This record gives sequence, C-alpha cells and structure tokens, in this order.
Amino acid sequence: MITSRREAWTGRVLLIFLMAVTLLPFLSLFVTALHPSGTYPAGLAWPDDPQWGNFPRAFEAANMGELLKSSALIVLGVVPISIVLGTMAGFAIGHLRVIGARVIFLLFVLGLTLPFEGVITPLYYQIRDMGLLNTRWAIILPLIGLFMPFSVFWMRAHFVNMPGELSESARMDGANVWQLFRRIHVPLAMPAISSLGILLFLWTWNQFLLAIVLVDDPAKRTMSGALGAFQGQWGTDIPLLCAGSLLILTPTLVIFLLFQRHFVKALLQGSLKG
Amino acid sequence: MARRVHPGRSGVAVVIAMGALAAACAAPGANSPQPQATGTSPVSAAPTCGSAPITVSGYFETGFPLPKALTTEFTKQHPNVTWDVREDQFAVITQNAPRVLADNPPDLMRLPQVSELVKDNLLKNLDGYAQAFGWDKWPASQLEQLRLGPGGRPRGEGSLYALGLNFSMTGIFYNKKLAAQVGMTKPPATLAELDQVLGKAKSAGITPILQFNGGATGGLAFPLQNLMASYGPAGPINDWIFQKPGATIDTPSNLQAAQHLEKWTKAGYFQKDINAVDYATMMSRFIDGKGLFMFNGDWESGNLDKQMPGNAGFSLMPPAQQGGKRAAMSAPLTFGIAANAKNADCAAFFLNWVATDKRAREIGVEIGGSRPMGPADAYMPAVASDKVTASTLEAGADIAGDNGAMDFIANATGAIYAKSWTPNLQKLVAGQLTAQELLTKVQADYTGQLEGN
Amino acid sequence: MTPRSAGARTAHRRPVATKLRDPRGLVGWLFVAPALIFYAVFVLRPITLTFQYSMYEWNGIGASTWVGPANYGKVFTDPDLFDSLINAFKLIAFFSAIPVVLGLAIAATIRRIAQSRLALVARTVLFLPQVIPLVAAGIAWSWLLASTGVINQLLSLIGLGGVTRAWLGDFDTALPAVGMIGAWVLLGLCTLLLLAGMSKIDPALYEAARLDGAGAWREFVSITVPSLRQEIAVCVTVTVIAALASFDIIYIATQGGPGNTTMVPGLQIFYLAFAEREVGTASALAVVLMVLVIACALPIQWFAKDGNR
Repeated sequence: MITSRREAWTGRVLLIFLMAVTLLPFLSLFVTALHPSGTYPAGLAWPDDPQWGNFPRAFEAANMGELLKSSALIVLGVVPISIVLGTMAGFAIGHLRVIGARVIFLLFVLGLTLPFEGVITPLYYQIRDMGLLNTRWAIILPLIGLFMPFSVFWMRAHFVNMPGELSESARMDGANVWQLFRRIHVPLAMPAISSLGILLFLWTWNQFLLAIVLVDDPAKRTMSGALGAFQGQWGTDIPLLCAGSLLILTPTLVIFLLFQRHFVKALLQGSLKG
Repeated sequence: MARRVHPGRSGVAVVIAMGALAAACAAPGANSPQPQATGTSPVSAAPTCGSAPITVSGYFETGFPLPKALTTEFTKQHPNVTWDVREDQFAVITQNAPRVLADNPPDLMRLPQVSELVKDNLLKNLDGYAQAFGWDKWPASQLEQLRLGPGGRPRGEGSLYALGLNFSMTGIFYNKKLAAQVGMTKPPATLAELDQVLGKAKSAGITPILQFNGGATGGLAFPLQNLMASYGPAGPINDWIFQKPGATIDTPSNLQAAQHLEKWTKAGYFQKDINAVDYATMMSRFIDGKGLFMFNGDWESGNLDKQMPGNAGFSLMPPAQQGGKRAAMSAPLTFGIAANAKNADCAAFFLNWVATDKRAREIGVEIGGSRPMGPADAYMPAVASDKVTASTLEAGADIAGDNGAMDFIANATGAIYAKSWTPNLQKLVAGQLTAQELLTKVQADYTGQLEGN
Repeated sequence: MTPRSAGARTAHRRPVATKLRDPRGLVGWLFVAPALIFYAVFVLRPITLTFQYSMYEWNGIGASTWVGPANYGKVFTDPDLFDSLINAFKLIAFFSAIPVVLGLAIAATIRRIAQSRLALVARTVLFLPQVIPLVAAGIAWSWLLASTGVINQLLSLIGLGGVTRAWLGDFDTALPAVGMIGAWVLLGLCTLLLLAGMSKIDPALYEAARLDGAGAWREFVSITVPSLRQEIAVCVTVTVIAALASFDIIYIATQGGPGNTTMVPGLQIFYLAFAEREVGTASALAVVLMVLVIACALPIQWFAKDGNR
C-alpha cells in the first residue's frame, strides 16, 4: 500500500511537471505578446504596462478575418470530398472487395508514409500548368490526393470488419449497391467518418509546406501557411509576432477544447492505424 | 483482405493509375513556354500610368518604410493608381524571386542579386525606358551595378535591368554616448585607431560591435567587406562581384581582412550570441544602447534619427594607413520590373517619378536616409547637420570622390550569400574555419556556381 | 464471383444486368475510381515525375538536360547534401528516442492514476502540441531558446548561468535544440498512446508478477514493454517519419543554420528546388528521402506484426 501511494505521488508530480513543460511555450508567447511592440523582452517577465492593444493590432496586421475565411474555405474543400471519396473507396475495397482490391489497397498503402517534400517540386509545376497557382485550389486538390491513402486506409479498416450478412439482407430487400452504401453502411460508419473528419481538418488547417510553395498570398493560405507569412513579415517585431501567433492558434485551440474527447480519440486511433 | 484475387484482372487498377502518369514522358520543361529575352523595345514617348484606374502589384521588403511612403505619395499625386503590395523579409524574397517572377510576375519588385534572373529572362530590359525618360543621362556610376551583359554576365556593363529607389551606402554607426565613455571624440582615422577603441570598449564592459549573423543572413559580411576595403583597392572586389573572368576573392589583401575579422571574433568584440542574432535584433540592441559600433547602411539613418535622436554617429570605415583611400559598399536599393509584368509602363513611370519628383526625393532622404538617384543637378533636400542622415549623405560624396563604391560581396551570385558566405562566416565565428579556409571555400563555391549555370 | 444467395430476385430475372451490377466488378470500381483518380493525379504522377526530374539537370524554367544518375552521385558526395541526411538521422534520437523512452517511463509511472481527474486534465494539456501548427511551435520555441529567453532565465535561476547561450545559434547545440522542439511536440502523443495501450493490459498479469515478488522494474521489462509492442512500433514509426521528413520547425527556427548544422533533407529540397533552382538535384534528394522513409517504416511494421502472430 505504501509503495503504491508513493507511486501515485510520483505520478502526480511528474504529470504536473510535464504539463508545465507543455504549457511553458504558450505562457511565454502570451507574456511576450503583452510587451510594447518592437521591444525584445528578456525571459518571462510581466510587463509594467501590459499592451493589450497588441492583440487587435496583430488581428489587423495578420488580416485575421480573411485568414479565418480562407482556412475555412480550404477545409470545406478538402474534408468533405476526402471523406466522401475515401469512404466510397474504403467501402469498395473493404466490404465489396472489388476485383483487384488487394492491388489497389497496396497502391494506396504505398502513399501512407509519403513525405510531402518528396512530391512538392513536380506538384508545383503541375499546379502551375493547370493555372491554379495562387488559388485555394492549389492547396485543396493536392491535399485531397495526398490524404487519400490515409482516408482509404482508415475507412477500409472500418468496412473490413462489417459483417457480410448486413448487405445480404439489404439486397434481399432489393437495394442496389448505392442504396446499400448510402442507407446502411454510411450511417453505421459515422463514428469512423467523424474521427477521419477531425484528423483531416487538423492536418489541412496545419498544412504548411503546400501553402508556402503553392500560394503566395497569405489571405489564400491555410492558417499555418499564413502564420509562416506573418512570421516572414512581422518576425522583426517580437511582441506583435507572439500576439499574432496566439491569435492564429486560437481557433484550433477553441475547436480542440470543444471537441477534445473526439480529438484525443481520433488522434490516438489515427496513429495506431496509420 | 480478399484472398481470391484474379491475377489477370487485378492489373486493371495499375493500368488506370498508370494512365494518369502517361503525361510524364516528355523531358521536364520541354513543353512549358520558354521566357524570351525582352529586346530593347523602342519606346517612342515616355510612358505614363494613364488616367484610367489601374492596380499596380508590388513585392517589397518588410521593415523598410521607404517604398510604402513613396507609393502612398504617388497615389496622392496620381489617384488612378492603387497598389497591391505583398511584403516579405529579404531572405524570403531571395528564395521566392525566381518563382514569383516566372509564375506570378509583379509589376514592381525589390530584387535580390540579379545575374541569374537576367540569365533566365525573368526581368524586363529597361533600355527603352532609360532612353525615353533620359536615365542614360544620369551619372553613369549610379546605374553601373544594374547593367548586365547578355545572359547576365558580366555585370557592370550592358543593358539596364533594374533601377534604384535611392543609392544606399554602408559604414559604421556608433553610439555617441558610449563613444564618449571610452574617450572616442572623433571617428577613428585609421584601422589601428579603430582597434584601439574596440579594445577600450571591451575592457570597459561595453560590447564593441553589434552585428547580426544568425539564420540565413551572415551579417559579418559587412565588417568583412569594410575590412577588405581598408586593406586593398575596391576594383578587384567589384570585378569579383561582377563575375569578370578570372576574378578571385582569395587575394592577399582580402586574406589580411579576413584574418583581421577573425582576430576581432577571437577577441570577443562581437556579442557572444552573434550566430543567433538577426538584423532586427541587432537594430533593437543598438537603439537600446547595448553596444558601441554597428556595421550597417544609411537606409537606417532616418530610423536612427527618430529612435535615438542626436546620439547616433556615422563614419566610413577608416583605411589601414592614415590618409588612405576610403571605400564602402554602396549600391542602389534595387527594384525591377518582371519580364511579364502587366503594368510595366506604369512601374517604369513610378521609378522615374521617384528619382525626379521633388516630394519623392524629399521622402527618399527623410525616410530612406540615402541619396536619391537621378540627374546630377537634381533638387537635393536640406538636412539638419546634427542628424546622422547628414553624415551619411556627406560620406556618400566622399566615396564618390575616392571612387570607392563597391557592390556587396553577398551579391556576387544568386546563391553565394545563403549557401556560402553565411554558413562559412558562422563557422568562422565558431572557430571551425580559419580566415584562409573561409576565402578558399567561398571562392570554390563561387566557381562552382558560375560553372553550374 | 461472389456466391449469391438464391433469394436475390432481381438477379434471377435479369442476368445481364446482374453481371453489370456485380458489386465486385464495374459498380465496385465506380466506387474506387474517384479516389484513385485524385490519388493518381496528385500523388502517383508527382512521384513518377520526381523520379524523372532526378535524371535531369533543370533550372525549372528553360530546357532540361539528361544527366542520368549524376544527381544521385551529388546527393551522396556533396557534403552539404549528404550532411542533411545525416542530420535527419541524428534528429531521430530526439524526435523518436526521447518521446518513446520518456513516454514509456512516464506512462508506467502514471498508469496507476490514469483515471484520476488530474490525469484527465493532463490528457487534454499533453495533446496541445499535437493540435497546434508546427510553425507555431517553432516560433514559440525559438523565442524560448533565444539568448534572453526563458530557458536561459531558468538555467540562471538554478545556478547554471554558465551554460546559457543562444541555443539555436550555437554550432554544438542548434541541432539538439531543434530536436528538443520535436521531442516536445511528440512526447504527449507517445505518452498517451502508450498509456492507452497499458490500460488494455490484463491487471492479473501484474498481480501475478507481484506475487512472484517482481519489483517495479521487472514488471516494466517483462510485462509492460512486451505487451506494448504494437503501440511502441506505432510511436517509433510516427516519430521516425516526423524526424526524417521534418520541415516546418526548422524552416521557422533556424533555416538550417548556423553553418549547415540543422539542414535537413526537407528544407534542402525546398531551397534547391525553389531558391537555387537545381530541380534535378532537389528531386534526387527527394527520391532518396522517400526511399529512406519507406526503408525505415517497413521493418518497424513487420516487427510489430510478427509480434502479434
């Protein structure tokens, strides 16, 4: 009993320490953001005269309204299409077991670990030749393709465990394949689909490389790409940079805190399966 | 997993997938439009921005208010012109320049090193405009660095590919209060005197030189090139920068300069964290009075006059011998027009306006802190003599007298700064390279880059 | 084809249509096709093109010259390029080893309080680094690690003022410092993954071990670690890929400096392709990177699978 109580205490202290380390960068961003713009505050020191005005200034400098809109548009482009296509393909491969399912599946698995840097160069020229540089499509279309291996993999893992009898009985009622998919399998797949949606949202929102290479205008980028541009432009003004970074973080944090349980579950499952 | 695979038909997937790849057969670049060299298109009358509403796109450098001030004033005078400006730090502009000029051409752009941009036909040949506006009647030295031979080599002669918003110059800024503390009453006249002051500052607990050398920007190139100018003539350095055949940076006098810099780093004359200091940090420290000297350019004099009024001094780098010739890095604040720019005429008109309009020239001096470009007899705004801007303008005249204008050694090739000077200067600070190795490596990289292109 | 139940009435009436509607044939393929097309156009085609570009010398603008495998020779002989690969492997020590080993230790320590309220709060907090953009992590940490940053402030506080420095600007510490940022990002994920895995271990195993007089260490080595084989493999895979393909953090925090001490393949590819316009060399490095990632990921997967059988 004594050992286990000591263990519990060590555990608690360790956890608190770990949380402190995790939160330290956020705290530092926050405190620094309150210093007068243009200064180089040393370490963690509460400013004599907290400059709350840095936040509205950064909001304006970063053009936050536009950024939010842009990121939202990109997410709206990527996530629904990826989910629909990924679910359909996962259904066909995992449940219908189309002819050649194994080969196709391997083809998709091939892309699971692909580092985006590996294809960014040809992607640039491809997007340029399609006339899509500097449009949101330059981020949306490639991301759908790049997330497809995971989406298919994820949905296949769900459908492969669906009992075949489910479809058999539906077929007896005269449902065609599409109805079978739409009316029976999609509703049953909702938990898998929503986890996938969360992961895709996060990865799209935070996508950096594609944004900085394919889109010059920060107002047409993802949040992460826009933050890169903000750093590029305001990196010389540390308090403003910190304020801007925090603002750009806020939407993700809010959504994360609202849906934290789903997030944690999705991320844990996501990495287990991927 | 489906176990019963029909081998004959499973290939269908692969066939479909490969169909999409069929396009990947031609050699890269084979069917993309090749930019053509823009010839000297004769411009009959001087172009204007017209009177219809027009939006000119610009790509400027962050942290320097001059272009913004000029475009704002321009719109005031020509209300039909609005500006769509994107800003980035200079290192980012350097990375993006070829890509942006080729695929998203801005009308007016702050340019990094231009040789390769010209070689790839990404910049508009400005000879026609020069004739129409009479730029070719300005003092030739103003435009020398912006002229390039066919294919981008050598620089210093040939067609005009860019223009400056002004003509900036570098030297040593000093903090007058700290200078008084270490007994420096007037700027050092020789290198030995400068060394003495540095030593005194060090023993007085004052950081002798504030410089930046972090990230992708090796700011020690500033003192290095100034030392090169102290030890030797400016001509061979310019030849190297202009890519003249056979030019080398690895000369005996440059070696002395590099060794002198090495001595300074060993003596602790720079901040300890110099390899992590970026330009903005250096500026903020200098303004805060955290160090005595700073090697920098007159583009900051307007800013310093505002932020530390009366307390900033400026001097050219002293020569090694008393009374020797002085030289300084001085170059136009380079702006160019993309080869495929939509509003090239208006951008050219703007560049001409910057050099000739009275108010624009005032802005150029007050905010830019440097000498405006333009005809020799053009209007020159007066500056109060206690301002550091006055000293920098005066120094500009001295340099012209000594024929000591040099371009920046970081501008020799497109990649020499990021890929060679910066990492190697950072290594010099860390004691991983000697002065000789620094020059040998940079020269090898230079040769490799010229061959590669 | 699929053995169909005799009760499929439509099938009996219209055999031709059935053949067409066979879900394993055309219809099934219609379900796969859209996903496959996106994948082919935006992933498979670029992969093929990367291979192709790597055989050419091309500046991205003009015409290209066939150079065969020369670019690969450059990747392995040019110290700037080769060192970036070495750096990526050094980063594994920080991105993978620290989060996995430390994660295991932490998870084992807090296993007993995994259901407490504190642990639930911790679950949320430890996940924050996973949720924010890596760019933000880069910005925050470069500020923490600056010469006037909090890290140095803390070191001075505990009497270690002598070791303070600009961590990201020092040749000896820049790479480890960047590695620590990666470790910070990945530690929470690994800890929680391992903790989730531990909750699935049958408590009876531990009781049996205690009865046999096994200490905490024995327990850890002979029960915890073997049972977590799959979770550990996942952590290692995810973190190794994150190390090899790192880009965002380094782009923001050091741009590869000082010198080239923190240059990694991802950043090098970006510079080569877009700033220096050596598309061929960039592509050769990209191919090497893709092959390396697969070469590292596959054995770990096999290792995990074998353990399950």
